[in-house]
Amino acid sequence: MPGWQTFFHELKDKNFEIISVAQDTGGAKAAGPWITAAKPEYTALIDEKHLVTRLYDMVNVPTAVWIDEKGRIVRPNEVAFVDNRYKGMHGMDAAVYLAGIRDWVENGERSAWVLSEKELKARLAPQNPDRAMAAAEFALAEYLYSTGKGTDAIAHYKESQRLNPDSWNYKRQAWALSDADRDYGTNWGKEVQKLNGKPYYAPRKLPEAKKPSN
Amino acid sequence: MRTGGFFLVAGLMCLAAAINSHADDMRKTVIYDGAVTEVSPAGFESKDLWVTVKDLRRATGFVVKPQGICRDELCFPIPKGRKAQFINKQSSVTWFNLSEFARLVKQPVAADEKNAVWYFGPRPEVQNGYLATLEAPNFTLPDLNGKMHSLADFRGKKVLLITWASW
Repeated sequence: MPGWQTFFHELKDKNFEIISVAQDTGGAKAAGPWITAAKPEYTALIDEKHLVTRLYDMVNVPTAVWIDEKGRIVRPNEVAFVDNRYKGMHGMDAAVYLAGIRDWVENGERSAWVLSEKELKARLAPQNPDRAMAAAEFALAEYLYSTGKGTDAIAHYKESQRLNPDSWNYKRQAWALSDADRDYGTNWGKEVQKLNGKPYYAPRKLPEAKKPSN
Repeated sequence: MRTGGFFLVAGLMCLAAAINSHADDMRKTVIYDGAVTEVSPAGFESKDLWVTVKDLRRATGFVVKPQGICRDELCFPIPKGRKAQFINKQSSVTWFNLSEFARLVKQPVAADEKNAVWYFGPRPEVQNGYLATLEAPNFTLPDLNGKMHSLADFRGKKVLLITWASW
């Protein structure tokens, strides 16, 4: 988050806003210390019910969406790192992506980073019924957890994970609220190992022309 | 003997009533469009969630009309010959099968039997509505101080929306 603050500070007078949304059932208690430490000038929100994950059919964090002045999506869900701290895990260079945002902020719809309607529609798909059911199970689990029925929530978290196996959010949030090894028979480290070379984040499709030559 | 038989039958009836009421006397919780509402339990056995038409309106905003199940301009007609699957009149109370309605409109439903909680997710056309317009789905959420912000407040600016998490 401090990285995004530095980046935002550079662009904040160019009719640009960052809205960061914490997907945290633990709410302000869980996300608050990170926000306080980052001292953001941008808008930092807390989403206890993972509403944004459901609305945009996201499966991971950090995930970014670019939205233009008219409120239209110009780039849908893609992984968005502000620095290369986790590059070893995903191999994606942050600088290329940040250069893309700068280009969009300067050039608007003329930017090569703005996707055509055809390309957007190719990248976006209706939520499949299993994912819709997974979102319902996750929401029910969240309600049970937040009303003091954490033990009863586990079966529903598991069902959400089974129905939407692509979602790291459903897995990692549930594990974080529990003793993952005891209640789920696994943990994040073990599941990352199981990937066995498969990418943790879906690869990005960036405009070729704008990639730096190095 | 006759008296004993009477008491035995009466006793069994009371026991049956007690079991029945134990099974069904739990208030149920409905989460619909994100709103949590307590509803009265149906006095009859069903795997589905039946609610009174009064509770239907309280929990979902939908009302039963001659033309169908309606909320504002929106109306879903009950398919021909299937009225009994949706409506059940018991003396002075009219019950509505919210589970059957969810199947009709293809809403995802998750239920927890032990706690009698039913969660109804958005209909597919609501969830996927933005794919036709490409308009970013709006949301309203609090910042750390509890102040609410909507995505729509930022019209006129370019917005980089980023999710993250502490976990």
